[in-house]
Amino acid sequence: MNDASRKTACGDGQRLTVVVAWILVGIPLAWGVYETFQGAMKLFQ
Amino acid sequence: MPGPASSFTDLLSKQRTVAPPGYNRWLVPPAALAIHLSIGMAYGFSVFWLPLSRSIGLTQSVACPEDMSFLSQVFATSCDWKISMLGWMYTLFFVFLGSSAAVFGHWLEHEGPRKAGVAAAFCWGGGLLISAFGVYVHQIWLLWLGSGIIGGCGLGLGYISPVSTLIKWFPDRRGMATGMAIMGFGGGAMIGAPLADILMRHYATPTSVGVWETFVTMGAIYFIAMICGAFGYRVPAPGWQPEGWTPPAQNKAMITKRHVHLNEAHKTPQFWLLWGVLCLNVSAGIGVIGMASPMLQEVFAGKLIGIAKAFNDLAPDEKALIATIAAGFTGLLSLFNIAGRFLWASLSDYIGRKTTYFVFFTLGIALYAFAPTAGQLGQIAVFVGIFCVILTMYGGGFSTIPAYLADIFGTQFVGAIHGRILTAWSTAGVLGPVLVNYIREYQIDHGVSRAQAYHTTMYILAGLLVLGFICNLLIRPVSERHYMTEEELAAERKLAHEAGARA
Repeated sequence: MNDASRKTACGDGQRLTVVVAWILVGIPLAWGVYETFQGAMKLFQ
Repeated sequence: MPGPASSFTDLLSKQRTVAPPGYNRWLVPPAALAIHLSIGMAYGFSVFWLPLSRSIGLTQSVACPEDMSFLSQVFATSCDWKISMLGWMYTLFFVFLGSSAAVFGHWLEHEGPRKAGVAAAFCWGGGLLISAFGVYVHQIWLLWLGSGIIGGCGLGLGYISPVSTLIKWFPDRRGMATGMAIMGFGGGAMIGAPLADILMRHYATPTSVGVWETFVTMGAIYFIAMICGAFGYRVPAPGWQPEGWTPPAQNKAMITKRHVHLNEAHKTPQFWLLWGVLCLNVSAGIGVIGMASPMLQEVFAGKLIGIAKAFNDLAPDEKALIATIAAGFTGLLSLFNIAGRFLWASLSDYIGRKTTYFVFFTLGIALYAFAPTAGQLGQIAVFVGIFCVILTMYGGGFSTIPAYLADIFGTQFVGAIHGRILTAWSTAGVLGPVLVNYIREYQIDHGVSRAQAYHTTMYILAGLLVLGFICNLLIRPVSERHYMTEEELAAERKLAHEAGARA
């Protein structure tokens, strides 16, 4: 493998890790925001 | 041959966290979020108060004998804890968060964020386990010690652990980067409180309210999440800069390129002015948070459910209905608090930190002063809108301060200086509620109506913001004599294992 293709593979791998890391923290946060939003909706009912 | 203990210490060392070339900096904010979302549950602890206040009686609270002393109540195993005793946990959280951040900030700068993150995980997760034991044997002092004191130290260490690192990774967007992490602290209760509720219902049996089991489960979850976060921390290599980014050639007066030593920072007027800015903004915000829900219920009363009745004339079922609406209002305020943390801090990258606080204080003064009028006019939507905007600025005050500190004092000690500034939060945590409660009680005792009593309090809180405005206005760049010399900086970087770094 030459340097350029190795660099791209490394970059793609890191991008995937970034996406996974954000999903891991994003899912609980989104769930928490949704739960709070559901509660907040009582103000408008 | 190195033993397992020394291998583990080595794994946590700052040198081991230096990122390799080509490392994606966007991996650092999720690591910081994992820690901040975990420790942010401190805000949601009130979810445990009601079940804990009937952990002996199970269906209803068993009151201690009236002649029982406070000390005896602390060790009693035959009667339930009062909510006021449990509420001490919040005071301990605030006090130990601020003090541990102030004390351990310097250590963090030398030892790196990973070690601090791991220590925070042990304190917060371990503190919850001690609390679980406290609930199991019904000893409230174990809850104060576990979650309040040891957990509080975890809060302080965890809170400041990513600040310096994020600022170094995002020199082009300091506000946004720290805003993301500090948003997590605000969001922690949004996840933790409903999760605790689910767990308590799951673990509840005819002989247990399910709290100690919930503490154990949550302690384990938070420990794992925080350890993952701590091991996700990477510090940039010395001299690293984002690809394609060059520091602005034109010098901005309010953003220094030099560094003030931690031991010198508190000798500058800027430190105390920023301390005042944070303390006053947070005191006013905490005061409003405490008042928002009862204020909505007592000012609008029957109007919230479409009937023309004052609060005292409402039937119990009507009061229950408006209490549900007020709980929704509190939830809405939390969402705006979180959003403000990210949005204001990000905006501060473009308009500057001083201007951002200028907006917080000027807009804040106007909104705090106008809120009672909106109540008198019966404008529910305007009233709710005012509080939502106020809450964004409360959150924004927390998240913009690290970038403000980096601008004024440089980045070398920003985590530690931030730690010391957080004592302003501890002070505000005590000052805000005390101020609001005493003013309110004083007025009611002197015959002022419940709805009217809020007016004076809001004007006094607006007065705090006037003081904050003056503090912010007086902030100027640090005097030349406070900056570190090149030799001092080189020596400090050697101590902080950053040999080869550029000034």
